[in-house]
Amino acid sequence: MALTAGAATAGCLDGVLGKEETDAELESEPDEDAITVWHAMGGDNGETMAQLGDQFHEETGIDVEMVYQGSYEDTLNQSFAAIEAGTMPEVVQIDSLHAKQILDTDAFQSVEGILPDDYPVADFLDPVTDFFTVDGELHSLPFNNSNAILYYNKDVFAEAGLDPESPPETLAEVTEYSREIVDSGAAEYGITWPNHVWFIEHWYSLAGQTLVDNENGWADDPTTVHTETAVGERLWSWWRDMAQDDLYTNPGMEAWGEATDLFYGQNVGMLLTSTASVAGAIAQSEEQGFELGTGFYPAIDGREGVVIGGASLWVPEDMSDQRAEEVGQFLEFMSQPENQITWHKETGYYPVRGEAVDQLEEDGWFEESPHHGTAFDQLLASEQTTATKRMLVGPARQVAVQLQEGSVEIFEERTDLEDGLATMKGGIEAEMERYVEARGS
Amino acid sequence: MSRHSNTNANANASTSANASTGGESRRFPIDLERGLPALDGATLRAHAGLLLAVSLMALPLVIAALISFGTRATFTSVSELSLETAAQNYHDVLFRYDMGQYMLNSLLMSVIVVIGKLAVSLLAALAIVYYRFPFKNAVFGVVLLTLMLPVPVRIVPLFQLAADLGWANSFAALTIPYLASATTVFLLRQHFLSIPASLVESAKLDGVGPLRFLAFVLIPMSKGMIAGVSVIMFIYSWNQYLWPLLIVDDQSMQVAQVGIRLLQGVVESGDIAWPLMMAGSIVTLVPPLAVLIIFRKPLLETFGVE
Amino acid sequence: MGTRDTREIYGGSLGVGRFLRERGLRGTIAYLREHGVRGAVENAREDGRSLLGELRGISVAYLLLAPTLLVSAVFLYYPALEALELSFHQTLFFGGERTWVGLGNYETLLSSSAYHESVAITIAFAATVVVGVMTISLIVSFLLYEVDWGQSGYLIAAIWPYALPPAVAGIVFLFLIHPSIGTLTAVIEGATGLEVDWFSNGRQAFFVVAIAAIWKQLGYNVIFTVAALNNVPATLKEAAELDGIGRWSRLVRIYVPLISPTLLFLVVMNTIYAFFGTFAFIDLMTQGGPGGATNIMIFDLYRNAFEFNNHGLASAQSVVLFAVVSVLMYVQLRFSDERVHYGA
Repeated sequence: MALTAGAATAGCLDGVLGKEETDAELESEPDEDAITVWHAMGGDNGETMAQLGDQFHEETGIDVEMVYQGSYEDTLNQSFAAIEAGTMPEVVQIDSLHAKQILDTDAFQSVEGILPDDYPVADFLDPVTDFFTVDGELHSLPFNNSNAILYYNKDVFAEAGLDPESPPETLAEVTEYSREIVDSGAAEYGITWPNHVWFIEHWYSLAGQTLVDNENGWADDPTTVHTETAVGERLWSWWRDMAQDDLYTNPGMEAWGEATDLFYGQNVGMLLTSTASVAGAIAQSEEQGFELGTGFYPAIDGREGVVIGGASLWVPEDMSDQRAEEVGQFLEFMSQPENQITWHKETGYYPVRGEAVDQLEEDGWFEESPHHGTAFDQLLASEQTTATKRMLVGPARQVAVQLQEGSVEIFEERTDLEDGLATMKGGIEAEMERYVEARGS
Repeated sequence: MSRHSNTNANANASTSANASTGGESRRFPIDLERGLPALDGATLRAHAGLLLAVSLMALPLVIAALISFGTRATFTSVSELSLETAAQNYHDVLFRYDMGQYMLNSLLMSVIVVIGKLAVSLLAALAIVYYRFPFKNAVFGVVLLTLMLPVPVRIVPLFQLAADLGWANSFAALTIPYLASATTVFLLRQHFLSIPASLVESAKLDGVGPLRFLAFVLIPMSKGMIAGVSVIMFIYSWNQYLWPLLIVDDQSMQVAQVGIRLLQGVVESGDIAWPLMMAGSIVTLVPPLAVLIIFRKPLLETFGVE
Repeated sequence: MGTRDTREIYGGSLGVGRFLRERGLRGTIAYLREHGVRGAVENAREDGRSLLGELRGISVAYLLLAPTLLVSAVFLYYPALEALELSFHQTLFFGGERTWVGLGNYETLLSSSAYHESVAITIAFAATVVVGVMTISLIVSFLLYEVDWGQSGYLIAAIWPYALPPAVAGIVFLFLIHPSIGTLTAVIEGATGLEVDWFSNGRQAFFVVAIAAIWKQLGYNVIFTVAALNNVPATLKEAAELDGIGRWSRLVRIYVPLISPTLLFLVVMNTIYAFFGTFAFIDLMTQGGPGGATNIMIFDLYRNAFEFNNHGLASAQSVVLFAVVSVLMYVQLRFSDERVHYGA
């Protein structure tokens, strides 16, 4: 990262001198040969990334530069800009939600082509392979995957007269528990979660309902969103009632940090968030002096399976064969069972390789750290259906934003339920139509 | 000192263009002839009001600075703040989270913009004031009309253009699009027009060439104005946010303003604390604030405050 | 402008315009017949300058202007025109794939209730910022003008926000009144009885962002207001004091009318600031939310362009914004003489 002022000045002069000089500028950078990886892992998880990069360098002599680009959304936007500007790095971490749009750019190559020939593709967990294989091809390397689970504060539960060992499993129970927590004064609110589309996706998949049509976008470009359904009505009316009764507090749009803060600060008794927060939650609960509980994601009522979230590593086209080979080595390294185990333990993302899971089970890790096990059990208990394959939709960002903003409209009662659901549907359909039209095929 | 046009428009109230040398309009600082200030109720209230206002304006920064001396976002007593913690926070933010690098980039960007803009605008103002040439008014109009094209009005094509030029992640992209400045050309033009014509005449008689005229007559006579506009340009450039956000994706080339955004991302991922964020904000504020304080006199004169 | 002629010591005019004006088309033709081109050229020269000398002077003038003109053409005018062109296209992925849709994007804007809302919010936001910042800075500047000692200290304490980066102002405010951890949150809740909830409550978010934006803009306004007040003749002040008119009625009845040209200038500049200069606040504090309550036009444009990759639509929004600046600039030039945008 250290670019000296001198090099920077040189870069500037090169820029002033014109286009031909940009190559020279690149050469003047000290880390020209590094594999650059853009990722969205802030804080401790980011440092774990950097450690893995250093370790790869030690083993192979190939330099890796891990560059934090902000949130998944920021990283996505930077990637689009970089495609246009021709400044793509060698590896980009992309949220699986945006897979379709990334595929449609035609600017990426399938990782199957660059992974070493003996790479055990079959060793990926089934739900993971299912999700990241599009049209029979593994386009990107599954890396950090997670579900959302329920985190709860056992002390708050006890204070509210609830059984700390039996967390709520359905929305009706969440309401009931929240009311006990708030009425007893054990915490200010019952529950919170970041306002992110991923949580809506969880509820839909648990109910066995696809969020968009055409098999959640896997059969063809989706044309509509299923907000005006029994599932949608139940979900959003519940959400609205929770907010209106002050049982739920809104941490803000895509506010992962705020939501966990509220939970760590014991302002809420329950939190829905990614398993990637397990390590942090264990540490924070110890620091704040409360006992942490984890449970399955509460379903509307019956439960089928959960969607997989998280991200995978994408590799742009246009690189020399030698470079591609090095990148392939790097990807292999990142998904090696032992590194996946490190990654899992440090972050809470679950290992994507079967071998890693076997190893962890053998070591008795899940008994040792049951919170790490919760997510895993939840994943294994999931039935794989069309609904559990996360939606594949081109204008995913627009769909996400419309659903998130539309939700606020409903739970703040700025619109009634029926209109709110219809508005989301109309807006999203228009975006889907525009996307297909603009892509022209 | 030119009064610029703010007073021209104020026809019935303003004094003549030479008013600054006269004594009929009120000036800072203290008017000694009036003797010691009288502390009547109204004056006291005025001071109280001012103190309240400037304290409120400073309050957010004071709190930010205090927080940056602690380890947590919420602190209950001052004893939780310590110099060691502050040193750790500022060290972390500058080196572990790369704000130091971003600040260096911002500094370089701002210095290049100031020098480049000044050079380019001095030449343009020289031509506009001291040259006769066809379509002069039209050319001046073309320069002034760029005021109507702030970055957002042309953001998408500007990005594509810079990308096509291969300028992504370069100081060229961060500086060159800023070099044409209607404001600076205009201010310099106004100032040149206020330089006595007699001086110009003697230069003409001596047959001094335009660049020598610029270097030996105009620039020495415009030091205050040049310092003032440089401060304006420096602050403007240091505070740029949207354009670097778009055109820089190699974070080793990033500027401090966007660095704050990256730092915020790290905070929101839930692991690092707000004190670091506040430390980052304070260090980002220091350079423009220092420039403002050091050069307040020429800056204020440029704006017409004596 | 009257002194211009004496300062124009270099270059030339070729005299063609004057020559034509003096003789008219017919006269010029007659003159050319009689004296030939060479004679006409010689006649057009002034001050005995040689044609070559004038031409050289003119080329030097354009050479001096070249950097400014070149940068303006390439980085200001060309992208602006390109934005106009792009606004007639439907695009995907940075405009790489585009299809002509005529006025389609404008129709989308016209029929989009979200865009209407964004326009309404922008206007309300600009009004709030303009009124807020000007009221406060007028009072502060007037008090500064009135006190007899300590002005230079007060002045620097009041103008420093001019140097405040919007990103810093935004992030500091985000923290100070953060609903769950903000230092001032409890204080405000205690003092007003309101629940600070601006991550959910759109109205609160609107005002929080507006206050942060006002804070940053105070310095700029104080500088100009103090400058204007300083130009009010001291005799007027003394007369007003002798008449025993109270401080606030003096301000409203005497000073405000006298400095109204500066105030009008500030209205325009603050409006431009609210429209274009507040992007960082929105981006860092609210991302346009909650529920679009702070989704001002520039943020909506940014989002369409760089988050949703809808460059055609974003360009149409650019064109709309261009119309807005044009009107504002017209108002400024029309009513406040030659004032120009400081700080750009």
